[in-house]
Amino acid sequence: MDNLQVGRHISGQFNEDLERVINNVMHMGGLVEKQLTDALTAVHDFDEVLAQEVLNNDYQINAYEVSIDDECTRIIAKRQPAAGDLRLIMAIVKTIADLERIGDEAEKIAKVALESFSSQQQDLLVNLENLGRSVVEFLHLTLDAFTRMDLDAAVKIHQMDDKINREYEALMRQLMTYMMEDPRAIPQVMTVIWSARALERIGDRCQNMCEYIIYFVKGKVVRHTTAEAVKKLTS
Amino acid sequence: MISVTPKALSADASKLDLTKLTSEQTALDIKGLNLHYGKKQALQDITMSIPKGQVTAFIGPSGCGKSTLLRCINRMNDLVDGCHISGEINLHGKNIYGKHVDVASLRRKVGMVFQRPNPFPKSIYENVVYGLRIAGENNRRVLDDAVEKSLRSAALWNEVKDRLHESALGLSGGQQQRLVIARAVAIEPEVLLLDEPTSALDPISTLTIEELINDLKKQFTVVIVTHNMQQAARVSDQTAFMYMGDLIEYSDTNTLFTTPMKKQTEDYITGRYG
Amino acid sequence: MNTWFKSGSPWIWLSAGGVSISLISVLGLLWLIASKGLSYFWPSELYQFDMIDEQGNNSVVIGEIYDREQIPVSQLAHLDLKLAKDQEVLERLLVKTGNRELVSLDFRWILSTNITKTTTPKDLAVVERRTNGNFYGFIDSLVLDGQPVDIAKLPELLERVEQFQAEIEDLQKVDIGAINYQLESLRLQSKSLTLKGELTVDKQQEIDTETQALKDEYQTLEQQLMALRDKISRDHLIMRAMDGQLVTINFEHILQVNFNNQLGFFDKFTLFLSQIAAFIIDDPREANTEGGVFPAIFGTVLMVLLMTVIVSPFGVVAAIYLHEYAGKNALTRLLRIAVINLAGVPSIVYGVFGLGFFVYMVGGSLDQLFYPEALPSPTFGTPGVLWSAITLAILTLPVVIVSTEEGLSRIPSAMRHGSLALGATKAETLWRIILPIASPAIMTGIILAIARAAGEVAPLMLVGVVKMAPNLPLDGNFPFLHLDRKFMHLGFHIYDVGFQSPNVEAARPLVYATALLLVTIIVALNMTAVSIRNKLRERYKMLEH
Repeated sequence: MDNLQVGRHISGQFNEDLERVINNVMHMGGLVEKQLTDALTAVHDFDEVLAQEVLNNDYQINAYEVSIDDECTRIIAKRQPAAGDLRLIMAIVKTIADLERIGDEAEKIAKVALESFSSQQQDLLVNLENLGRSVVEFLHLTLDAFTRMDLDAAVKIHQMDDKINREYEALMRQLMTYMMEDPRAIPQVMTVIWSARALERIGDRCQNMCEYIIYFVKGKVVRHTTAEAVKKLTS
Repeated sequence: MISVTPKALSADASKLDLTKLTSEQTALDIKGLNLHYGKKQALQDITMSIPKGQVTAFIGPSGCGKSTLLRCINRMNDLVDGCHISGEINLHGKNIYGKHVDVASLRRKVGMVFQRPNPFPKSIYENVVYGLRIAGENNRRVLDDAVEKSLRSAALWNEVKDRLHESALGLSGGQQQRLVIARAVAIEPEVLLLDEPTSALDPISTLTIEELINDLKKQFTVVIVTHNMQQAARVSDQTAFMYMGDLIEYSDTNTLFTTPMKKQTEDYITGRYG
Repeated sequence: MNTWFKSGSPWIWLSAGGVSISLISVLGLLWLIASKGLSYFWPSELYQFDMIDEQGNNSVVIGEIYDREQIPVSQLAHLDLKLAKDQEVLERLLVKTGNRELVSLDFRWILSTNITKTTTPKDLAVVERRTNGNFYGFIDSLVLDGQPVDIAKLPELLERVEQFQAEIEDLQKVDIGAINYQLESLRLQSKSLTLKGELTVDKQQEIDTETQALKDEYQTLEQQLMALRDKISRDHLIMRAMDGQLVTINFEHILQVNFNNQLGFFDKFTLFLSQIAAFIIDDPREANTEGGVFPAIFGTVLMVLLMTVIVSPFGVVAAIYLHEYAGKNALTRLLRIAVINLAGVPSIVYGVFGLGFFVYMVGGSLDQLFYPEALPSPTFGTPGVLWSAITLAILTLPVVIVSTEEGLSRIPSAMRHGSLALGATKAETLWRIILPIASPAIMTGIILAIARAAGEVAPLMLVGVVKMAPNLPLDGNFPFLHLDRKFMHLGFHIYDVGFQSPNVEAARPLVYATALLLVTIIVALNMTAVSIRNKLRERYKMLEH
């Protein structure tokens, strides 16, 4: 938490408020990460019980989002944060929205595990595994960078989204081939495509979160800019 | 079809480069200003340009020299014993600390409003026309017009128009402060200096004055010193942060309050120990 | 006990005690001079005492009881009195018997043991006269133009006399006074022309004609005066004194005739008020021991007002310099200490200074420069009301300076800055803002100065006050205000009447009455100043945060 410096406010109450919000974001991030991992495991193992658990747990993420949102509103009203504090609150508000959407995507993936696949068709799902692993790693690194508000890490992992996009495109081509080969399998392939799409979206949201980290640390908005512009920030 | 350009959406549309103001854009140009009270240095090498027709705020902790700097602009520091000033403050390209400068006529061009409302123990009318009378204006009609105009621009006319000849001391604190502003405005200065104008007022009066400042900048260049950072953020276009007699950071208010460049500024505006 | 001390109530009692003592002494003082002073004007009963002395001689004493005294018998042993054995004290009465043409003393002590009978006869009269004091006795007869008339005509006659007297006074003071003044001016004019060597025959003739005209006018007036005097002096009042002697009193000398024993309370009260009024508006008589004190009141008030007019601008200007312009250095501090110490110098020292510096040096030079024609008789080179006012102005200067400076330093600096920030110079700020706000403090200084100056007597004895001034410093002759004239002062009047008069006993009540008047005048002057100050304070009160 080098860049956070939450603890140095003259107002101890403000310190506590900020720390509590950050901790809640960490917990929420951990929960989202676990949901995503569980969802992917359930798909992989056809573990319906686990999948059901993922579906049931989503409300916790929603609850986190609502409560953190609330707290941020309160801090803005009561403390009128400026500069770094203001950017932190803005980053948190946006981050939790993305985390919540990641939670929703995890839910979608878990639903795949509840559908019936023939053993032959189960091979299709294996293709998801690589993409899933990459996305989970991306999320993990992002949350890690967020915890430390690490600009260098954020800039670096910001690029990981490109890799995920490439993997996604490769997977899509593969799935297209399946559909052409066996039109009967199209409904199942479509399910896999939706899951892949969900994973790709998670990657985008992780990239957004990296941008919030950069915004917090540098005060610069890097959304909708080129990768080169982002890279320049660290130099 | 409505065409909306991204530029119009941005609040920074009128953003100026404070280091490269043209002479038409500059109201005051401060160069290498040093000020000593006896042996103690209160201002160190201040250099800044204050743009015309905008509100510039000075913020900083107590004793940082912001009020001192403000008082340099209309030479109120001349009244302090043992005060020594070097450097320049240029108004229209003319150094106000140069030789042959008439301080009284300088102060007519650079009006000032103080921390506590200080109406004179005279009628409201006489308070407003005080500066004009000093300048030798005695034509009743001119004075009447000036009173109405100034009180209107200080947003006080409707409250006091029926009791212009009653004592100004009967007004509330916020009204008194607006009266003092009207008094300063009546002599039509070019620059209006406000030294913590709301620190003795309640929040509603404070908001009235802030709204007034926003109107005043259409006619005058306003420089305000304030302890209240939110106030500086609300009313000013430019903000200068000062600390221990140094000008630490000077930039447009939107930038300074979201992404200050200096750590000292950041610590001050977010309320951290320095 | 300890807790009682800690509670602070001893201090409250102590301070309350201090306040009560001061209150009691002030009220006591006022009560004493008021009761003693006012009783002088109350018409007292007239007594007739039938007496028998040790030798068995009978006599009658008529008069007012002035005082009663208990004295031990031992003191009177030499008188060989026949007394009861156990009697140790005797009462004796001080009786004012008047009748100065018969007995040299106005007062007489009588022992109560010698009195055989005390009565208050209704027809006993007291005649107040211009000279020789009161006459006590019975009215025997009234003589008008040599013919005896009915006593009932007395009030009518008195009224007529009063009218004539008023006419005489008018002639003497206004008309003849003006002519004298003009004659004196002409004399000085001719002398001044002689001194300059410009006296031509023409001018001399001009002046001579004018002088002659005035002298003729004077003659006519004097004849009128004589005629009036004649009219009065034809009438006589014949009084029977206590020893049966008949005394003729010319109406010219009579002021009032009162039958005190016939008066009811209301009549007495009316008489009391008219006596007070007479005291205030009349001139003194009989070496100040009788009559009124008007010239002294006038002199006191005029001198104090002149002093105020002189001291206020000087004190204020000096305070402004000290506070606003003088550098904050050792010299200024020294000056300030000197000013404060000036307030502690004994007032007689100021008198000596005033006499030496103002009267002899400044006044002498003025005379040589502007009034050489009057020399060797001095005009300004002699004590006068102007020098008195200036001397007292110097005496009270420190008070005005100190309180004005106090007022200046209490003005919030925001006022000054507010004015300066509007482009006013320091002088404009002082004149338009600072002085009006400091005005209550300046008034306080003036109040203190008036209080001190009105009570000062010692220095005035050297620089202008006299026992009896022939003319008021203000009259109808140009230039109306005569600052070179000497004047009378109530404070000095008290001293003079009380200690310098030939008849101390008679003057004692007058001392109290004059003291009461002096206090009243000082209080009135102060109240006026205080009410002005309070008005100013009201206007500026909101400033005191």
